Amino acid sequence: MPTAITNIEPIEPKLLPGDLAIWLFIFMELLVFGIFFIVYAVMRIQNIELFNHYQLTLNRELGAANTLLLITSSYFVVRAVKAIRVDNVKNCIYWLYAALAGGAGFLILKSLEYVDKFSAGITLSTNTFYMFYLSLTMFHFLHVILGMVILFAIAIKAKRGAYSAQNHIGVETGASYWHMVDLVWIILFPLVYIIR
Amino acid sequence: MILLTLSTYAVGKLGYSGVIVVLFLLLTALIKGSFIIRDFMELKDVSFIWRAIMYGWLWTVCLVIAVTYCINL
Repeated sequence: MPTAITNIEPIEPKLLPGDLAIWLFIFMELLVFGIFFIVYAVMRIQNIELFNHYQLTLNRELGAANTLLLITSSYFVVRAVKAIRVDNVKNCIYWLYAALAGGAGFLILKSLEYVDKFSAGITLSTNTFYMFYLSLTMFHFLHVILGMVILFAIAIKAKRGAYSAQNHIGVETGASYWHMVDLVWIILFPLVYIIR
Repeated sequence: MILLTLSTYAVGKLGYSGVIVVLFLLLTALIKGSFIIRDFMELKDVSFIWRAIMYGWLWTVCLVIAVTYCINL
């Protein structure tokens, strides 16, 4: 009885999108944020009433709006990567600008939140909860700024013709960093604003 | 992901608390995080070690938070 002989080659796993160096940086950043989250959760055990009380003073509407802005912005970056893979530089630049607009929206809303807190006399030394709230969110705020600088630099380079369907590792690198910023906020928002 | 975010906000707005609520909120964060890792970061088909690091980070953080919150409820 004849048997079908087929050459089935093993499927090689894909390489990480973007530069390996950015992934090592992402892993280190996630480690730092992860430790920060765990320390927050452990410190809360010793100050449950204080954390529950002052958590209610945070603006959940702005927090939720910022989550939607970052998710949408991340999606725009996905579209930018897809566009450059088919050599559509123009669309890639548009999507990157759209993502930057999302990031700018995040910074504006977060700044409004900070103005509200600082004008009420709240600082890092007010209490343990605000120390964590301000340091965690400000640390993330700085990452959003860095991510926007990277995306803007990529958009400028793309405009100068530096990227194509064959060479777009820079776009993937910036995209990976931006998604990390989004991923961190996905945990930070419920942890600091909602869970009690 | 937008619906999950809105559900998280709704739970906070309604002031719900308790073990089930904490687990629900962390589960929504876990699902959203998994979407980002798999579809946005495009780690679906990369080597196991990279996926293990990313999903491992997500699960570890969510599990530790769940334990610290639930032991006090």
